[in-house]
Amino acid sequence: MSLTDRRRGVALLVVLLAAIVGGCSSGGASSSPAPSVAPSPSAAASEAAASPSPSPTPAFPVTITDDEGTSVELAAEPKKIVSLTPATTEILFQLGAGDRVVATDDGSDYPQQATALPHVATFSSVDVEKVVALEPDLVVAGGLGFTPAESITKLRDLKVPVVVIYAPSVEGVLKDIELLGTATGTSADAESLTTAMRADMDAVASAVASQSPKPRVFYDVGYDDTTGAIYAPADDSFLAEMVTMAGGDVITTGDPNTYEIPIEKLIEKDPQLIILGTNPFYSPTPDAVAKRRGWDAFTAVRNGDIRPVNDIEITRPGPRLPVGLRTLASAIWPDVTLPAAS
Amino acid sequence: MAAGALSRDVEAGGLAAWVRARPLVVGAVAVAALLLTLVLGVGLGSVRVAPAETFAVIFSRLFGIDIGVTVSPATDVIVWDLRLPRVLTAMLIGCALAVAGATFQGLLRNPLADPYVLGTASGAAVGAAIAVLLPVQLVVVEFGLLHGLAFVGALASAWLVFRLGGTGGAGGLTRLLLTGYAVGSVLAAVLTMAMYVSGVELRQIFSFLLGGLGGSSWVRLVVAAPLIIGSSVLIMARGRSLDGMLLGDAAAGHLGIDVSRERGVLLALASMATAAAVAISGLIGFVGLVVPHVVRLLVGPAAHRVLPISAIAGAALLSAADLGARLVGDVPVGVVMALLGAPFFLFLLHRSRSGYEL
Amino acid sequence: MTAIASAIPAIAAKALTVGYAGRTVIDGAELSVAPGERLALVGPNGAGKSSLLRAMTGVLAPRAGTVELLGEPVEHVPRKQLARTIAVVPEVADLPFAMPVAEVVALGRLPHEPPITGLRPTDVAAVDGAIERIGITHLRRRDMRELSMGERQLVFIAVAVAQAAPILVLDEPTTHLDIRHQVDVMELLVDLNERDGTTVIAVLHDLALAAHFFPRVVVLAAGRVVGDGTPGETLRADRIREVFGVDPALVRLPVGAA
Repeated sequence: MSLTDRRRGVALLVVLLAAIVGGCSSGGASSSPAPSVAPSPSAAASEAAASPSPSPTPAFPVTITDDEGTSVELAAEPKKIVSLTPATTEILFQLGAGDRVVATDDGSDYPQQATALPHVATFSSVDVEKVVALEPDLVVAGGLGFTPAESITKLRDLKVPVVVIYAPSVEGVLKDIELLGTATGTSADAESLTTAMRADMDAVASAVASQSPKPRVFYDVGYDDTTGAIYAPADDSFLAEMVTMAGGDVITTGDPNTYEIPIEKLIEKDPQLIILGTNPFYSPTPDAVAKRRGWDAFTAVRNGDIRPVNDIEITRPGPRLPVGLRTLASAIWPDVTLPAAS
Repeated sequence: MAAGALSRDVEAGGLAAWVRARPLVVGAVAVAALLLTLVLGVGLGSVRVAPAETFAVIFSRLFGIDIGVTVSPATDVIVWDLRLPRVLTAMLIGCALAVAGATFQGLLRNPLADPYVLGTASGAAVGAAIAVLLPVQLVVVEFGLLHGLAFVGALASAWLVFRLGGTGGAGGLTRLLLTGYAVGSVLAAVLTMAMYVSGVELRQIFSFLLGGLGGSSWVRLVVAAPLIIGSSVLIMARGRSLDGMLLGDAAAGHLGIDVSRERGVLLALASMATAAAVAISGLIGFVGLVVPHVVRLLVGPAAHRVLPISAIAGAALLSAADLGARLVGDVPVGVVMALLGAPFFLFLLHRSRSGYEL
Repeated sequence: MTAIASAIPAIAAKALTVGYAGRTVIDGAELSVAPGERLALVGPNGAGKSSLLRAMTGVLAPRAGTVELLGEPVEHVPRKQLARTIAVVPEVADLPFAMPVAEVVALGRLPHEPPITGLRPTDVAAVDGAIERIGITHLRRRDMRELSMGERQLVFIAVAVAQAAPILVLDEPTTHLDIRHQVDVMELLVDLNERDGTTVIAVLHDLALAAHFFPRVVVLAAGRVVGDGTPGETLRADRIREVFGVDPALVRLPVGAA
């Protein structure tokens, strides 16, 4: 029985247990609909009028539906914004709202101006007191547990508007940028940003789309020296999508819920190209990678096709995504000339 | 065995004897410590709030009196909605765990018992894990499915252990303890598999298990307080039964105690208090095991002294530890508590080695 | 002194049959103890002495027959009242926590204490009195767990004495005691019985003690009462040989105590 099957069996057991204890689930499922925006009636009327209308349509008050489906009402344009994810910080600065950001999490390292801001969150917790002390009118948090759910609940209980975003796909990132644009009253900037991003990424993707045969690409997310555990993109994940867009035949873990891939599976897939996603926490050299136990079985190792790339630009769901895509595409297709950046 | 000449009579014990003879002093010190941690806990935090502002908020919110110090809305929220409920919740939980721990130790005649000895910890954790994995969102009076199922899980496992382990009799207590261990192990295994399967939700389950007071609020406090205070008071009312049972089941029976009924009632009350505590703040260790022992070292084992003083001391310890955790930053409260409490405990043990050892 | 004259026996076992899971331990025993009596219960190991005591003190439900306490079937007597009427010296148990002797003895007042307020001055006086009478005043503040087995046994006897019940039951109270303490305890029982009128029932394995200190000796063998009378009657050489399987040498001492 394969690992996945066994895990499915256990999952079934746990679900049965849950069913026995908790009864069948009833409504209120929390899925992730695409973020939607419901502007107030007057704004809708004037928006529907015409696109080249020169008179500015009042963007506030506005009710936003975040990525978790929660409706968040913003009475006026936020003047004090707290960003709890590095991607959000980048987006806000890119949208020209950077001067309104009063605090970030400790992972927000870009752009340079953002690093001077006070930190109110670490990777595992949010200092609710500090956030409240700043009296923000908008807090942007990361979904899927990036920001602890309890902190989000706590802030909302204290009447702080919190918008939760997470992007499971490239399109999701663009939607989140537009969502933040609406939330901060910078919809015009958001729209031009996403249009540019989309165009840039489409251009890069088309440039490599016709290339063939696509190499089997293993994007090395992480490796544990002690246990030999290998981490790769999960099925249907953001990262897998990026590699595919960049013209690679992406090797995934085979399971949308896990990032770990057993070495036998990797040997079976036999990557022709290993892309090393390097960041401050993980930056092995190609030599070190080639020396890993059992890795000489890979075509990529035997041919020395191990290429490091800046992991942050590729995996951070923010405005630098096109840069990341270029880096990735250049790594996979070094001999293809990519169209100039817009 | 120790002959009279070798073991020290407590008359020669000096400070220890003095403390022993004055349980009221110990109690007063505990109350003073509690008030001190209350004041410090509300006044200190990661954001500076001037003492004048703290008082202003409390006076205006509690008594409606304006003492003439202007306070920003943020400060008002921080002091009243964030810090005060958190400090009070910490005290409530500390009280619950210390009283439950003392009760289990007496009931099971085992100094190593703690509030989680009947599998309540694993039960709560499994309940929480199931809540996290179920695709259902449910919030009732600020208690989510997580808290509800953690509470249910804790009670369910205590009940299961009780049913399987029996209420005493020949070798019964050992059997009860071992059953608690076995049930706890099974539940821990289920939990591990749930965490293995859960992926992203893992983080939520983990942070619940680590235990913390970040989610404290007035509403939760008001809902949990009657449960915890009620159980504690009812346990204290039965303190003499607890003492009688120290002599063993047969002796207690001859002294007029209905052992199986008292044991059942006390176990249920202690489990209730533990379950309520775990549902709010996850698994916080140390308090339930160590505080009763420290108190016994100071005032002797009589329940009518140990239970109330443990309640106060537990409340003070946990709120002090939580304050420490808040000031230092991102540290789990259990770590701070162990660092605060363990050295003091060791010191006491060392001092009493030749007199009232545990 | 005299026993309290009364027609109703303090404890009476009638046609008592007691057993555990298939085994019959007491088979049709008859025993009636008048208030103010002092009796020793002897017999070989496995005769059922402890079981008889447990049935008579209401701990073990009989399979057949009855046990009556002052005319009432013992199972109808409420728990607390039973504890105020019969004091059973507990088995020497290990305490899980350190506990001073005085507090242990104070547990004997549990059947009398009001539940919330705790020990009253009368209770404290009873505790002090018990401690003095047993002669363990010098041990008052000592930790139970530090005492020798013999000292602990004395403490447990003190617990029962503090209970101040009209009936005192002891199951082999002298096992861990040296000879001096054995005699002390026996003399204490005589004193409690003659001065206070306490009915005393003691299971003893030492026939000499039984013969010397108890005017009535009941011999139990294989679940039945095979002898009930003065030591002279029940502890004759031939009876001892029959019941205990040993050949005794009986020495009659000049009588000191009654």
